[in-house]
Amino acid sequence: MRKFLVISSGVFATLGIALTILPLGTLALIPIGIALVLSFLAINSSKLNQKILPKWILFISAITFLVVIGKVVFIQDKVVSDKQFEQKKVESKKEDIKDLEAL
Amino acid sequence: MKKCFLMLCFLGIYVVGFSQIKANEKLIYAASYNMSGLMTQLAQVSMHTEMVNTSKKTYLHLSWEAETVSKWDRFFKIRDMYETYVNPSTLRPSLYKRSIYEGGYSKTEKYFFSTDGRNVNSTTTKKNGTEIKKTINIGSSTQDIISIIYKLRTVDFSKFRVGQIISYTIVFDEKEYPVFVKYMGMETVSAGNLGRKECYKLAISSRTDKLKGVDKNLIWLTADSKKIPALIRFSIPVGTGQLSLATASGI
Repeated sequence: MRKFLVISSGVFATLGIALTILPLGTLALIPIGIALVLSFLAINSSKLNQKILPKWILFISAITFLVVIGKVVFIQDKVVSDKQFEQKKVESKKEDIKDLEAL
Repeated sequence: MKKCFLMLCFLGIYVVGFSQIKANEKLIYAASYNMSGLMTQLAQVSMHTEMVNTSKKTYLHLSWEAETVSKWDRFFKIRDMYETYVNPSTLRPSLYKRSIYEGGYSKTEKYFFSTDGRNVNSTTTKKNGTEIKKTINIGSSTQDIISIIYKLRTVDFSKFRVGQIISYTIVFDEKEYPVFVKYMGMETVSAGNLGRKECYKLAISSRTDKLKGVDKNLIWLTADSKKIPALIRFSIPVGTGQLSLATASGI
């Protein structure tokens, strides 16, 4: 049982880290939450000399949780000015005026 | 994103004789996509209107632009432009353009509407530069994807009964599509900087596999003279999403 808890919490923690890196918003909180619960249970079911690994998983999951929350709170979803796109719009409008003159 | 726009095209016409659409109107939306039950903001959609003068005529330029938010640019960059030049009074289109860039895929379409409204001369340019020209026969009331949305805003829904349907036709992807708009009643929704607004709730459907579900593609128009689209929800084969109004200016 302990082995299952440690492995599954490790898998969910890894998935949480992957989703945190990707721009998927709060979706990462699902595997992170599962990893936190499973790693906590793994610590409780481990003997004193077996607690190091689940403790690390719990610690990493907690840090990842804070990173996700921090991204949501402090980083705004915004569009960065794209000069190439702006230029394309200007050229497109000039071309449209020519086309409309020809109608 | 293309499908999101396509959902919007399934909106109708109800001619009231004059346009209520003002120039220099700017509406900005947050476009979100449902990922495992959570709405994740993917892009920003802007709708602009402006007057354009040529030596012969004055047109109302209606444009929609979609750009992915910066964090998504590295993974799936979207730079879409949908534009139409219409008669300011009747909203009848003369020139429609679509230029899309979606995760490396690009395509440009240009439609010239004939003055008698019976056909469209289209030019499609693909990423490799291949140009395809076609003449498409259309009905006299067929609109393009953008102007139809503005046409819908001229409809007086206060006289509609719940369940009442209006049907129209649009041209998109070189095909004509029948469009049905069902009035679903009134609802209060958040409308960005306008606050919470009472809105007309409308369900959009069409005989196409591009939209999913019954009454799952919805648009809320503010129940005032402006009829600003406050919220748009869409359900397509690859998922669901929404456009929620963030800021409205020049209205």
